[in-house]
Amino acid sequence: MKLRILLADDHEIVRRGLRALLEKREGWEICGEANDGREALEKAMQLKPDVVILDVGMPNLNGLDTTRQLLQMDPHFKIIVLTITDSDQVIREALDAGARGFVLKSDAARDLVSAVEALQSKRMFFTPRVNDLVLAGFLDKGHSISRNEAPKLPTLTAREREITQLLAEGNSSKEVASLLNLSTKTVETHRSNIMRKLSFHSIRDLVVYAIKNNLIQIEMAPAGVKEPTSPSAA
Amino acid sequence: MTIRILLVDDHPIVRQGLRTLLEGREGWEIVGEASDGLEAVEKAQNLKPDVMVLDVTMPRMNGLEACRLLRRQSPHLEILFVTQHDSPQMMREALDVGARGYVVKSNAARDLLEAVEAVSQHRVFTALNGRNVASTN
Repeated sequence: MKLRILLADDHEIVRRGLRALLEKREGWEICGEANDGREALEKAMQLKPDVVILDVGMPNLNGLDTTRQLLQMDPHFKIIVLTITDSDQVIREALDAGARGFVLKSDAARDLVSAVEALQSKRMFFTPRVNDLVLAGFLDKGHSISRNEAPKLPTLTAREREITQLLAEGNSSKEVASLLNLSTKTVETHRSNIMRKLSFHSIRDLVVYAIKNNLIQIEMAPAGVKEPTSPSAA
Repeated sequence: MTIRILLVDDHPIVRQGLRTLLEGREGWEIVGEASDGLEAVEKAQNLKPDVMVLDVTMPRMNGLEACRLLRRQSPHLEILFVTQHDSPQMMREALDVGARGYVVKSNAARDLLEAVEAVSQHRVFTALNGRNVASTN
């Protein structure tokens, strides 16, 4: 029986590259593609793939929150996250979210096939940096790997994280309501709760929070080019 | 006559995606790939492509610096940026350093064929995310 894989990345050109890489492998099949986290949730529930490959930096719903929601719906999903950075924070969040594979986008051509093979054999696949971090946490017995983190801000619920991402991406409350099938009033209540929980007073604070917490990612211009940085899915 | 294309991006998976999109087109040939600006400059000299598809943000030498050098080194080469930067300022910078085209990566699958066609005929092609396409002689 074929191994069925769902690909989610907001760049079609990346999905094409991933598809070309994975389809070379006999016995593997790309059963579907998604353009953002929300579409990935729908397609995963509908197609029941054996492996889901999720980009971290997707619009509407990022890959880490998609991982959390997918595993809440069905803990049997095997998920590999693709990321442009292996910062400690992204690694921790990916592990916390329940991803079983972690591959850097820059190394995908080299590592992704091995990652899918690992998950197929009920193993996990992580980059050397993830292994180092996990090992450091293990050796530092009695302390979690997040010990050196800055004091945490109050925890947002899954719904509040979704709304934070959508607001930070520049959507109005009305647009967020339409995207999530909620009333504008409900979104505004969530928005007030988020601002109160985080002690924020402006949307700018929210955007900075979203970037720092990997809800959205930004692409930096090369040195010397004056460009207003705007949030985007990397 | 065959249009010879060089692909430049630091992510092999993106180069693979660009290749699958472009190599199906009759009369177009991918003559090589490079993973940063320095390698792009070297390969342009050796392979003499007609069109270079060039990323902006890359290690060692970014696409803008490479484009400046290439304009002097290979004046007949047409350069088309394919980048994450959906910004008019970056697009202006790219055209100022001598590029003929500018396409946003998120729309590459939609815009790239048209863009390569245009720049290979020495026409300017630019398209930001809102698809404000400009294609001029």
